[in-house]
Parts: sequence; structure tokens; C-alpha cells
Amino acid sequence: MRRMGHRAWLVVAALLVLTNGTFPAIWILFTSLKTEAELTRTPITYWPAEPTLANYVRAFQEAPLPRYFLNSLVVAAGATILCVSISALAAYALARLRVLFAHALLLTLVALAMFPTATLVVPLFQIFTTLGLRNTYLGLILPHAALSLPVAVLVLYSFFKTIPKDLEAAALVDGCTRLGALWYVVVPLSGPGVFTAALLAFVNSWDEFLLALTLAPAKDMRTLPVGITLYQGEYLFPWPLISAALVVALVPVAVVIALFQERIVAGLTQGAVKG
Amino acid sequence: MRRPWDLSERALAFFFLVPAFLLLSLVAVYPAAHLFLTSFRELHLALGTQGAFVGLANYRQLLEDARFWNALRVTLEIVLVTVPGATLFGLALALMANLPYGIKWPVRLGLLLPWAMPLVFAGLIFRWFFESDFGIVNDVLRRLGQGPLFWLTDPILAFWAVALSIVWKTSSFVALVLLAGLQSIPREYYEAARVDGAGALQIFWRITLPLLKPALLVALIFRTLTALQTFDIPYAMTGGGPGHATETLAMFIRTQSVENLNLGYGSAAAMTLFALSMAVTSLYLRHLQATEGE
Amino acid sequence: MVTRVWLLVLAFLASVAFAQQVRLKVFIGGQQRPDVMRRILDVYEQRNPGIRVEIEVGGATSDQQQQYLTTVLTSRDPSLDVILIDIIRPAQYRAAGWSETLDRYLPSATRDQLLRRYLPAYVQANIVDGALVALPAFADAQFLYYRKDLLDKYGFKPPVTWDEAIRQAQIILQGERDPNLNGIGFMGNISEGTVCTFLLPIWAMGADVTDEKGRLSLTEEQARRSLQFWLDLMDRHRVSPPNMAEKAQDTIRREMQQGRWIFATLFAYAWNHFQNDPDSRVKDKIGVAVMPRFEGGRSASCLGGWQWTISNFSRNKAQAYQLLRYLSSPEVAKVLALEASNLPAFPELYRDPDILRLNPWFRDALPVVMSARARPVHPRYPEIADAMRRGLNAVLARTRTPEQAAREILQGLRTIYGQ
Repeated sequence: MRRMGHRAWLVVAALLVLTNGTFPAIWILFTSLKTEAELTRTPITYWPAEPTLANYVRAFQEAPLPRYFLNSLVVAAGATILCVSISALAAYALARLRVLFAHALLLTLVALAMFPTATLVVPLFQIFTTLGLRNTYLGLILPHAALSLPVAVLVLYSFFKTIPKDLEAAALVDGCTRLGALWYVVVPLSGPGVFTAALLAFVNSWDEFLLALTLAPAKDMRTLPVGITLYQGEYLFPWPLISAALVVALVPVAVVIALFQERIVAGLTQGAVKG
Repeated sequence: MRRPWDLSERALAFFFLVPAFLLLSLVAVYPAAHLFLTSFRELHLALGTQGAFVGLANYRQLLEDARFWNALRVTLEIVLVTVPGATLFGLALALMANLPYGIKWPVRLGLLLPWAMPLVFAGLIFRWFFESDFGIVNDVLRRLGQGPLFWLTDPILAFWAVALSIVWKTSSFVALVLLAGLQSIPREYYEAARVDGAGALQIFWRITLPLLKPALLVALIFRTLTALQTFDIPYAMTGGGPGHATETLAMFIRTQSVENLNLGYGSAAAMTLFALSMAVTSLYLRHLQATEGE
Repeated sequence: MVTRVWLLVLAFLASVAFAQQVRLKVFIGGQQRPDVMRRILDVYEQRNPGIRVEIEVGGATSDQQQQYLTTVLTSRDPSLDVILIDIIRPAQYRAAGWSETLDRYLPSATRDQLLRRYLPAYVQANIVDGALVALPAFADAQFLYYRKDLLDKYGFKPPVTWDEAIRQAQIILQGERDPNLNGIGFMGNISEGTVCTFLLPIWAMGADVTDEKGRLSLTEEQARRSLQFWLDLMDRHRVSPPNMAEKAQDTIRREMQQGRWIFATLFAYAWNHFQNDPDSRVKDKIGVAVMPRFEGGRSASCLGGWQWTISNFSRNKAQAYQLLRYLSSPEVAKVLALEASNLPAFPELYRDPDILRLNPWFRDALPVVMSARARPVHPRYPEIADAMRRGLNAVLARTRTPEQAAREILQGLRTIYGQ
């Protein structure tokens, strides 16, 4: 009896979370299968009355979607790796090593997040033009990594803080160097933290629009968000077409999330306290 | 034996911090300095002014600008509504996502998908949802027998439509951070508490919440910072309308800088946003450092 | 040793040859048919060996392009030579020092001769403080689209005055008894199109924002009448639904395409969708007419279109000028008309048989384009536009009365015009 009630709650909770998260995605999916005419029907339809794949065909015809996808992937992956490595080092230093003015440094790191990207665009454009990095992968990887730096550092900082100092102390007593302690003790235990930071950096980069538009507008360098906005006309907004492109853009992120979330779970099974 | 240890630890700390600060110098420090300096100049390209130094003139003008104060007010209202809103909703989502399911990935996916949608499009999608003729919100209302509401053109409804959309979109970021925090609470703690006879609510208050504090603070910091910078969703949904009812500080800054080409003035407004963000983050961070004293 | 000398000589020759080759870059928006533009530029390259022209494609909307160009031009970046800008931008570009004036390359006698070939309104829009800043690429204007079939059914001719339009809409709505059909569609949300909505009644009265000397001549009463007019369409005459403050241009286009509007004030792009989209319910049922006027006023519509200008930071201004003259020539205008269905900026092309064969509606379009007026030409145009469209939007959303909004608009305008 008790187990039945328990199971029911699980199902309810699962449905709630699922519905909340997926209804716009599902709406986009349905819209991508409709024609524009159906969008002005009253009462509105949910499931497409005459489903069609024409929008997907057009989406691939009118723009090099696979290329945009590749660009987004390279930039996001590069930004994630760069961001997480740099953040892990910085977070560890702030959390564990005796650093002067740790609080002030933390504040400075986070200060970057206090500027809306739009205010940074003009000087960034100038810097990256001078460096010759316009329309290059590196020219987007660097700013994207930097944009996620504050949140990644803070997430990893609070994670490192939750790992008991005794574990490292024990390793140090056993003759490990600081670097060794970091590698053999701390990193394995911070699975959830590292993968959370990585996921944050990845999705931030995947979705980023303004810098991608400004620093890499060339046709073969565009990322997905930039490319998708180009389906618009000056006044024209073709919802079904854009929805199809959005589905194409969202599916890989969904896959990445599905994969990463397993790793966040796996981090737990390392046994945080067993010591 | 202590001295060499100290030195090498300091050196190590230095090397660990250098890459981060190097990257930041490139991407943040220079632009921020540029912004700071421009805020003291008269640089209004539409008037052809060339950037003469004018001290605090831009700031003084801001203080007298009713539109600036309106934008500030709208922004603070959004912060006061969407930060607690997204945090509570995100917490609820994270707790629900943390239940022991047989198959975990569908729920976790549903949790994080809202966050995966590019902000640029999220705003447009919500505009469509709240449209008075063809949006699903009014469709549902119609089916329930209620008349259609003008979500996007009534000043109060527009604010709530925007706030609701923001809460929905950002709650999954909060949920992600909190979920990771929840996952790092060892299950042994819960078991021990249950053995001691604690009820679910007690477990939540005494064990979960305190151990979640660091993650909660991280989520709060970034949720607040992005709330202060709210731009994309109101821009796409209402353009700041009706009138100026949903015009945020970030929209005000963009209008001044990019549309009106009044770069000095826009920079001054951006610096006020920065000062506000700095103050708020300082408070949070102090709290974060304090909680580790245990 | 000898090989080394030859290699050096070859390298020198190669670099000289390379240096002779001029590379120009043209910036256009994503929606302006880069494919057609590429072919046009290929022809130019053939005729001018030694010149290579690249296209840089920017965002899809005027706004996105402006975002990008503001960044590039504020940074004084020399990478762009010729830029395609919206009709509302020349004054701003001149004031900001972003555009090179074309007068340096055009003696004033030939300048006036040249300008006379284009539609008259473009002269007004592209000359800022006496300097020629840009030349037209293609034209656009706001049309009164109407349902020919419905008007014919009730025996109406396209309305000449707004009163007629309102009356026709009311009769048709009563007769059709279709809950999905609406009368007069116009833009009311916060976007550039709503500026045109605000200006239409003012022009229709015979008034304007500025006089011939560029001084502010708009009165509060005129602004109030314009705002009241649109409000009345919703509340008094009931020919427009109550949510016009939400309506963007493409929403109305989409709705009219499904047969939900009798009249609509839309730009030229709508025509092709009405005629050629597979899901269009109004194919062959749409006509275009000049904007109605008020009694004793005049018929005037909002001028649109895009202009070519030379970046002030270009390193090849003389070559850029030559390219610009080619791009703004009747020859290219004809190609754009045939391949991209762009309205030409040259009146004579509206009678060209090849063009008319592909775009028969250009015949009806000509009077509309001839009657089009430019929006205020002022470096602070964005602030002017913002005041106007927010005022109208607030009135339509009923958060301001026409009197209040008119006062606020004029206050804003007086500050900008310094009066």
C-alpha cells in the first residue's frame, strides 16, 4: 500500500517536471510541422492538422545548418574545456591555498558577470580585430570561456569547499605534492561540480548570440543562434521555418544534457565521505 | 620546515590564478576600463561630439532623467519578483528531480531543457504564447470560459507576463546548480536522520537546506546578476511597452548607446548598473564566506 | 644564385600584381538577396579587372544590422567600403562621421542632374545639410492593400479618403458577418513601422513634421488628431479589433494572407507572399492603392527602401564610389526588379515591359511610390521615432489619452529640434 502511494508521487512529480520543461520545446516541435496558414487558424491547433516536413527541408536548403552546427559545436566544446580547466585551477587556489585577499579576488572574478554583454561589445570587437581573431574559432572560444568563468569558478569554489580538508591533509602527510593532492584526491570527488561547471559553460556558449553575431558574422563561421535569426526577413518572421531550425539546434543540446546529467549522478557514487 | 612550504604554496596559488586573470584581463578588464572612461566623456555620435572630458555631467543628467529612473524601477521590480520566484521554483524542480526514479534521464532532461533554449528565441516564443489572438495562454483561458486578456498591452499584465516568462526560463539554471548541490549531500546523512525518527520536513530544514547553502548562494548571485541585466525577454515580448512599462535598465542602456549613439551617456548608465551589481554580489559573497566558517 | 634572383623578381612582380588588385567589401543585410547581389557584383568584376568585390552579409533585420554596423563603425574599422543602409539612417551616419559624402566625386551640376532621375522623395532622404550622403539601391513604400474581391462584391472602388475607407469597411463587415474578418489593419506595436502609422494621418491632413527649412512644424493638435484617428478605428468606428497595440507588420501580413483583413497598410514585401505563397488564401484577390487622405489634405505614404553609402573609414574610397554608382544605376535596379522583385528607385523602370511582365503590379505601385514621403531626416532620428511610436503605442494600449501622448511627443520633439 505504502509503496503504491510512493510510486504515485514519483509519477506525479516526474510528470510535473517533464511538462514544465518540455511544453515550449514540444510547441516548437509541433509548429515546425505546420504550415504558416495553420498558425492563423482560430481556434488555435496544437497537434498539426496537416503535418509536413517541408520546413525541415527548407531549413536545410536555405542555410548551411550543418556548418552552423559544427561551428557551434567546436566553439562550445573549446570554450567548455578552456573554461573548466582555468576555473578549476582558480577555484582550487581560492578554496584551498592561502591567498591574499581571496574575497576581493573572488569579487573581481565575478565582476565580469556584472556587465551586460552589450556594453562590452565595442571594445571587444576592437581587441579581437587587432588580434586578427575576427571570424575565427579562437576568437569566439576565448570570450565564451571568459563569460562562463565567473559562474564556473564560483560553482567549483563551493564544491571544493565541501570536500573535507582531512582527505588532502592525509594525502599530503603521505608525501603528495599539492598538485598531486589536487589530481588524486580532489578532482575525483568533485565530479558533480566539474560536470555542472562544464554543462554551464557548454550551454552558455551554445546559446550565446551577441558576441557570435559581432565577432564571427562570416557565412562559414556563423553559430546556430546567429544562423537561425537569418531566416527572418526584414519584416518577415517565418515561425514554422524557424521552429524547424530551432529543433535542429536544440536536439544536440538535449543529448548533451542527457549524457552529462548521468555524470553528475556518477560523481555521487564515488562516495563523498567514505574517505 | 614551514617557510619553504609557505613559499611554494603561494607560488602555486599564483600560477593557478594567473590563467583566469589573464583571460579576464583580455575579455573584461579592458572593455570595463573603456566603459568607465567613456562615461566621463561627451560622446554623442549623432551630435558629432568627439569625446571631450566632461566629468560627472553624464551622471548628473542620469539623475534628472525620468526615463532612467523608470528603467531602474522596472529592473528592481523584476529582480524582486523573479529572483525569489526562480529560486523557489528552481528549488521545487530540483527536489522533484532528485527523487529516486528508476530511469533518471527524462526528468533531468525536462528539468534542463528550458535553459537550453537560446534567450534570443525564448522571448519570441513567449511573446507568441501571450499573444491575445493566437497565444496558448488565452486559448486555455477561452476554453475555461474566461475572456482573452491583453497580456502584452496592459502595463500590469505585461509586467507579469514578462516576469512569468523569466521565472520559467531561469528556474532551470537554478535547478541545475541546486541539483548538483543536492547530489553532493551524502545519503548517509538522510539515512541517519531517518533512523533518528526525523520527518520529511525536518530533514529538509535541518539537513538539506543548510547543506545546500553554498549552492543556493551561487544560484542566487547569478540569478540576481542576470535579473539586473534583463534584456532579451522584455525586448522580444513587448519592446519595453506599453509606453515604458516594461523597459529595463539594460534596454535603456542599449537604446542610448546603440540606437541614439549617445555612448558617453549609455556608458554612465552601464556603470550605475555595474555599481548596483557590485553591491549586491558583495553582500552575497560575504555570506558565502561566512557559511564556510563552519 | 641566378635562381635566387629570378625568384626575387618573380616575388616582386607577384606582389605588385597583387597590390594592383583592389579588394572592396560590400555590406548588405541577410534579407537583401546576397545571391542576386553576388551575380550583380560578378558582372562588375568582369568589367573591371583588377577589382575584387566581396559581400559581407549582416543580420536579417534593420535592427540587427544597425547593432553590428554601430560596433564596426564606432571602432573606425576599415574593412567595409560600401554599405547598404536603411532609408532612415543617412542623417545619423553623416552626423556620426560614418559616411563619406558623395559630393567629393560629383560636381554639383551633374549631381542635380543625377538626382532628378530618381524618385523625388529619395532626394530629400539622402541629402543631409546639403550634402549627398547616399544613393538609392531599391525603393519601398507603404501601400494600402485591399481585398479586391470584397470591394467588388459590394460595388466599391478603392477608397480615396479615410472616411470612405471606414465606411466601406463597416459595410463589408456587416455584410460578411464573418467573426474572423477585420476592417483596417495597421502596425501598433513598438517597432519602426508604427512610426509610419503615426505619420500617415498627419501627412493625410496636408501637414508634416518639419517645414521645408527643416524646422519643427508639427503641432500638438495635429499629433492629437493622428492618435485619436487610430484610437477611433478601434473604439468608435469598430473597424479594427481592440488589440492593435500588439500588432507587428508580419502578423497583419500573415493574417491578411489567410483572409482576415479587408484593408492593411503594409510595405511592398507583402505582395509576393500574397500572390506566391503556397498557403495564400488571397491569391489574385489583392489590390494596392495610394493611401487615403483626409478631406482637403493629400495622399501620402511612408517611404522605405535601402541606400548605398561609402564608409568614411574605407581605404578605397575612389573605387568604392565607382562601385556605388554602378550599384545605384538603372541597370542594376532592373536586375533587382527582375530577380528579387525589388521596387526600382527610377520611375521609368515601372513602365519597362520586361519588368512589368514579371511584376504586373508595379503599374499600380508607381503612383504609391511617387506619393511616398520620407520620415524626418535628422541625426537624432532614433529618438524622434522612439517618441512617436511609444506615444501611439501607449494610446492604443489605453495607458495614455491622445491629449497626454500628443503633449509628450511634442515635448520630446521640441527638445530634439531645439525649439
